[in-house]
Amino acid sequence: MKYNSVTIGIGAVLVLIFASWFLVFQVRTTEVAVVTTFGRPTRDIEKAGAYLKWPPPIQKVHKVDQRIHNFESFEQVLTSDGYNLLLSVYVGWSINDPKMFFPRFGGSESKAQASLEGLVRNAYSGVVGRHPFAHFVSTDEKELKFAEIENEMLQRIQADAQANKYGVQIKFLGIKKLGLPESVTKLVFERMQSERQVLVSEIQARGESEAANIRSAAELASAKLLADAEAEATRIRGLGDLEAAKSYEVFKQEPALATFLLQLGALESFLKERTTLVLDLDTSPLNLLKDRSAIPKAGK
Amino acid sequence: MTTDGIKLTPSRRPAPVEPPTPPEVPDDSSSQALSDALRSSFAIVRVLMIGLVLLFLASGFFTVGPQEKAVKLRFGRPVGEGEQMLLGPGPHWAFPYPIDEVVKIPVGVMQSVQSSVGWYATTRAQEASNTEPPPGPSLNPARDSYLLTGDANIIHVRGNLAYRIKEPGLQYVFNFANASNLVQNAFNSALVFAASRYAVDDVLTRDFGGFRELVQRRLTQLIDRQQLGIVVDQIDLERIPPRFLKEQFNAVGEAEARRGKLLNEARNYESQAINNARAAATARKAAAEGDRARLIASVAAEAERFNHLLPQYRSNPELFRRQYQSETVNRVWTSAQEKWILPPGQRRIELDRQPPRLRTLSPLKVEEGH
Repeated sequence: MKYNSVTIGIGAVLVLIFASWFLVFQVRTTEVAVVTTFGRPTRDIEKAGAYLKWPPPIQKVHKVDQRIHNFESFEQVLTSDGYNLLLSVYVGWSINDPKMFFPRFGGSESKAQASLEGLVRNAYSGVVGRHPFAHFVSTDEKELKFAEIENEMLQRIQADAQANKYGVQIKFLGIKKLGLPESVTKLVFERMQSERQVLVSEIQARGESEAANIRSAAELASAKLLADAEAEATRIRGLGDLEAAKSYEVFKQEPALATFLLQLGALESFLKERTTLVLDLDTSPLNLLKDRSAIPKAGK
Repeated sequence: MTTDGIKLTPSRRPAPVEPPTPPEVPDDSSSQALSDALRSSFAIVRVLMIGLVLLFLASGFFTVGPQEKAVKLRFGRPVGEGEQMLLGPGPHWAFPYPIDEVVKIPVGVMQSVQSSVGWYATTRAQEASNTEPPPGPSLNPARDSYLLTGDANIIHVRGNLAYRIKEPGLQYVFNFANASNLVQNAFNSALVFAASRYAVDDVLTRDFGGFRELVQRRLTQLIDRQQLGIVVDQIDLERIPPRFLKEQFNAVGEAEARRGKLLNEARNYESQAINNARAAATARKAAAEGDRARLIASVAAEAERFNHLLPQYRSNPELFRRQYQSETVNRVWTSAQEKWILPPGQRRIELDRQPPRLRTLSPLKVEEGH
């Protein structure tokens, strides 16, 4: 009889496992569940864990993924100033009201996404069409409304989803791509090309004028340096003259001698090197050669 | 499991039969053999079952790697509250699947995504083998992607974003159906955002650092706002002008280089001119100093000689004058190289007679004559 109790225990466990297959269901932490009784939603479960239910023909469990889903959408839109823009946005959304969501989309996330894509399309024309091109793209920070446009689209889709009782929440929306129609890119290229050419000649002209400026400034500076040096040199020479003048005081004792010595000194230094002298016979002492009267009388 | 149950039932049957059998043992040897067989098969089944249970329990062991965290979900609900639900590196145990589920979070592992906007249609293989399709005069939005800059120019930018899941990492794993796709789109959006306010030359050359910083700032902002729960490690960006306009953009670069060269030359000239002027100025001042010193010295020497000669002169001025003059004249005449003494009446002399003679004798002249 010992085996009996063990086997009955094991049998009971097996039956339990078997029964739980039909009667118990789990809700994961990322999910919420809606239980339908004969097709009508009767209970929704938002906390994760294990729960009981009636077996399939009576009750059914529909699990709804509560995580944030995302999709992308691409559209050509006309800005308020008549530019065609190709705009891509990505949208993050999640189911926040399963009771509303479930009957609306039958628990299908892809159906919900298709509806949301419709809302995004409405938002494109509704929001983007009210902004000029410069709100998307501008070097002027004040003109740019990039983040504002994202916000406006988000709010609009949010409001639409609420009004339509989707039971979903739009978490965020971002512009992921901005483009122009192909024919416009060609025009942009042409404009860019001419801009580049202008830039090239501008740079060239600027380089030349800058270089010329540097050169003329250098010339001016060196001329000034030389002029200053010249002035300084003159001043130094003046100082020399001044000092020399002190020594000239000596000559005042006998100006006649001083003049005589200076003349002789000048003569000597003038005829110092590589000199060719052309003299006539009247020059003393050559006059001795012709004129005997020049011989001193004292010699007689 | 049901087969085990079936096997159990026959093994149970011989047990109640056994007590009355001992007296009949010799009579019924066949039933004895049957009961032995059943007993041994029951033992085997028991061992098997224990083994299965052990295997079942052992399958619950798992290890968490050094750069991971793990969360145990029991019936779908995390075990533990807040930070305590995170299991660190090491061995752990959980019930097998239907009861527990282990979710690993690669917290410290570097992950990366590539931007998917901003570059023209190409593949890595085409790039490597240099067989990219040639650029056309326009960009097809279905194929080629690009960014619009603040000055409405077109530019190509692509990037690689390296990121890690921020501790504890629960958001990244449990809150998003496709978290890495959202990271990529946040990165794309940050690129578009940054480009929309930068001029083309700023992105390409002038302020690329600022552009990258703005991308990073915007990306961090988006990550916070969307609560992606990641940390940006590094952003690598690559940017080029439209391939169709490559030459035009290169021409601008060349013009810049030429301008740089011109400026360099001018600066060289500047430093040379100023150095020369400085040297000349120094030389002039030095010459003046020299002149000054010479003048002072010579005047001093003159003065000394004057002082020396003064007594002689005073004693007999006329004699001194004659004597001194003839001394000087002697010196001058002796040192003169050539002396000509003209007889009275001759008025003309021919100077510099040598050069014509030299010229006629010049071998060069002779050569030319032939």
